[in-house]
Amino acid sequence: MSEHNSALTRRNLLKGAGVAAGAVALGGCLSGDQSNSQQGALSTAFGNCWMCSHNCGQKAYVRDGSVVNLTGVDGHPRGSAGEGTEGTLCPKGLAQLDKTHDPKRIKEPHIRENGTLKKVSWEKAFQYTAERLVSFDENNGAETFLDATSWAETDIFRTVWRDLYGSPERISRGIHVCAGPTFVTGGMMGVGSNNRVPDYQNSEYIIAWGRNILNSFAGQFEAKGVLEAIENNGATLVTIDPQHTITAQKSDEWMPIKPRTDGALALSMANVIIEEGLYDEAFVENHTHGFDAYREAAMDMPPEKAAEITGLDAEQIRTVARGFAEAAPQAGISVWTGTAQAGNGWKATQNITALNGLVGNIDKPGGLRLWKYPSTASFGEVCEQDYTNRAEFKDPALKKYDEYSDYPARHIEGIAHNLVPEMVENEHINGIVCHHDDPLKDGNAESWIEAIEAMDLVISIDAYWNGVSRRADIVLPEATQLEKDTLGTGNWNAYPNHKWVTGSKAAVEPRWNTKPDFDILKGIANEMAEKTDNDDWTVFQQWDSHEAYIDDQLSTLDLTLEDIDSGEKNYALVEEYDYQQYGENFTFRFDLDQIDSFAAAAEEAGMDTAPEWIPPGTYGDSTSEEYPLEFTDIRSVFFSHGSNQPHERLQDQFAKRNQLSEEDYRGNYLYLNPEDADARDIETGDMVTIESETGSGELMAIVTERARPGLVTSQYGFGQTSAITTGEDTREQSADGMNTMMLHNEQMDPITGQVDRHIAVDVAPAGGD
Amino acid sequence: MADRQDHWVFYFDPNRCIGCHACSISCKQFHGRDSDADDWRTVTHHQNANGQHPSASEYDPDTASPIENVPISMSCMHCHDAPCEEVCPTEAIEKRDSDGIVTIDQDKCIGCKYCGWACPFGAPTYGDNGLMSKCNMCLDQGPGSGAGAESKNEQDDPIQPNCVSDCVGGAIKAGPEKEMIKEASQAAADRFKSNNERVIVEPFQGNESNLNLVEHAASENAGD
Repeated sequence: MSEHNSALTRRNLLKGAGVAAGAVALGGCLSGDQSNSQQGALSTAFGNCWMCSHNCGQKAYVRDGSVVNLTGVDGHPRGSAGEGTEGTLCPKGLAQLDKTHDPKRIKEPHIRENGTLKKVSWEKAFQYTAERLVSFDENNGAETFLDATSWAETDIFRTVWRDLYGSPERISRGIHVCAGPTFVTGGMMGVGSNNRVPDYQNSEYIIAWGRNILNSFAGQFEAKGVLEAIENNGATLVTIDPQHTITAQKSDEWMPIKPRTDGALALSMANVIIEEGLYDEAFVENHTHGFDAYREAAMDMPPEKAAEITGLDAEQIRTVARGFAEAAPQAGISVWTGTAQAGNGWKATQNITALNGLVGNIDKPGGLRLWKYPSTASFGEVCEQDYTNRAEFKDPALKKYDEYSDYPARHIEGIAHNLVPEMVENEHINGIVCHHDDPLKDGNAESWIEAIEAMDLVISIDAYWNGVSRRADIVLPEATQLEKDTLGTGNWNAYPNHKWVTGSKAAVEPRWNTKPDFDILKGIANEMAEKTDNDDWTVFQQWDSHEAYIDDQLSTLDLTLEDIDSGEKNYALVEEYDYQQYGENFTFRFDLDQIDSFAAAAEEAGMDTAPEWIPPGTYGDSTSEEYPLEFTDIRSVFFSHGSNQPHERLQDQFAKRNQLSEEDYRGNYLYLNPEDADARDIETGDMVTIESETGSGELMAIVTERARPGLVTSQYGFGQTSAITTGEDTREQSADGMNTMMLHNEQMDPITGQVDRHIAVDVAPAGGD
Repeated sequence: MADRQDHWVFYFDPNRCIGCHACSISCKQFHGRDSDADDWRTVTHHQNANGQHPSASEYDPDTASPIENVPISMSCMHCHDAPCEEVCPTEAIEKRDSDGIVTIDQDKCIGCKYCGWACPFGAPTYGDNGLMSKCNMCLDQGPGSGAGAESKNEQDDPIQPNCVSDCVGGAIKAGPEKEMIKEASQAAADRFKSNNERVIVEPFQGNESNLNLVEHAASENAGD
């Protein structure tokens, strides 16, 4: 046995004092040399974490206007395991402290003059933005302006860009680049897009399907709920993942499946459950549609056949199928991006979701939960001013123009991420507003970079210099989440019987010359009112502050932000609801033949409406002699979507986690199996070149048995177009590592247009250390 | 002298550790330590060398062990026999009678590093000033702080160390030994007694052949 123990060692004592001086970046408040008497009083405030936008509650300790410590909120629906349990923050959530005080943030508004970004006042920035928006509308038409504001901490972005400016073009993180097939099949099958989050705490059998729930969660309640279920219910945990993860480590069964064969495994599990009479006959009889077509597809996939396709053991497939069905309805499947970010992701998800209908675990304790939101007031309800909705009846280009008639996704979606560069070339998209997100990391990166550069108007609302803000015409420096009022409204959480809200007032004032997104949008709107003689743009003047607007949103719940924020916690459980609330007429659809939009898309894609097995490569990449390895990217618990890769504490711990902290390199790592590494003379710590038909890049290799032979993976969000790590003076620099989407062409799920992140590649030593 | 049972100890359950390093990051943030300074709270990852990916072509289920990868979070263990204290020539290090927390008074530290050599776990680290710093169970913020701070046992509502407050998996706990022992399994309590009573570690419930991954990590040979 060998030990890989790089840190807690005597050897550390021998290291030189290569430690950067001073406790910078925290306003000097944490320096150990300062005595308490020199410091102001410590106060507490709240926040809601937006690093991955899932609202884990934060308790912020503030001294002299700086956040000096950050921890969780006990009992928080997203950040704890529920009532009476401690709330915490994950590593990226903790980094919100560093982000708030990060001197590398964008500190001033900028506009591009004579090719160079120059600092201007907010007044000038708003004036210039309005001028450019007016001329853009005159020259190109507002309908060609793309709203890419998916990370907004206020919901008025939609009002500004769609309703008032008049663009029907919106790209959001959820469906387009995250897990489109998961969300959309769930909706069509009748269980909504929350088909991805089971009722963990009450479960006796949890399948983490293509998910590393313990290190990649949508709120810490997921990881905590799984641990609680194991400890309290003796729950069985199954992980279906080609790679060995921490979730696989904690599992009773790890199914190291061949990538992109999940659809076959799901059908095979159905085969076992149907053959052995383990399914919920009453539910199937009373509440489902299309069972015959489903049974037929399942009968074609006995475990022995699935074993050949998936590389799994037929007996293990039987064991898991039986275990899941016998534990049902206290059996849940957690599914998200892992099975969705593939060309055949639609059928994989449909087949997996179908298992829930088969065992009747729908809206039962421990099964798939139909989560509910509280009904806060919509914009229309709280708005006392009428305005004309200028995007109404405008078709997005994907649906409108013949150029896109070959894309079945146009029946389902208004836009697809990978098609934006083509739409720019066709002049159907001519500008973009991007907020706190990096679409250059979300698919076909090289084409997107060219598209951003070709656009007539690029507005970036962001906290960091990244691939979009560096190329923008207008850069509006955004306050970060602890400097903003926030409101989050519930659904999946640690309280499966409660709707809930969480909210917080800004913990500290915006640093430097930055503004919260609500104030930025209001500033643009007010200036548009001046420039256009159009009173619609004065709509936000009815609210003096974001807090006043949030209070109006909360009026339906008889709450204010002050109510939520002023006690010992910053959330409220607002309404109880029971399990199994669906009525007698509820129908779960195995076959989607009744959904016209899908039926049309499926026909064009050559796909059945019922569950079926679609092999990898049918819609996406296939490996070849030239590109014999399959690449797909993965997540890290330290980073979220390119927005916090610049934080040194996260980078350094990430390097420690990978036992490569002694290297200077602070980028992402390429994981590959010794079998593949030996054939290419690659060792851990080597820089390697990864190449696809489309592009290439360099990153550091880690050779590990945890990687599946033939599959190579890397964390996404690094390298070219990253938020930079060295501040604005060197804003042209790139961060360490590789933007893995430089390898990506246009492969996507044909139904939703979801980016397919499985790419045929080869790997070779890069010739350096 | 307070009863040994009142001395604060750490408790760690590797079965609940998800290897996320939130403990290390929160420690660094609370104490204002630079990112590249040595960790006071350290997470290491221990893997078996003979485990093979099950789909590898040469895989033989009869001979190959399944892959194990166990994260272990450790910090200064505030040993009852604190070897660092014993070797300190200036008596800058104190094993506090009141709560058992081992502190360093940097005004007395001369940076000789004897404590670093004496500690089997590499807990004492040295900053740019050459002086020793280490975990103080968050008695106060910053390197060298906490010496002379009020006993955790006399505080009305003693704050939990930040690593405990921010442990996502609930794997780390801290408190007086008599309370921590109540939270522990019999096996963990027995090991604590036989392992020089430093830190309470739950037995790892993974593959049997790899149990000693954790045993080793919590022993004096850790890091060898």
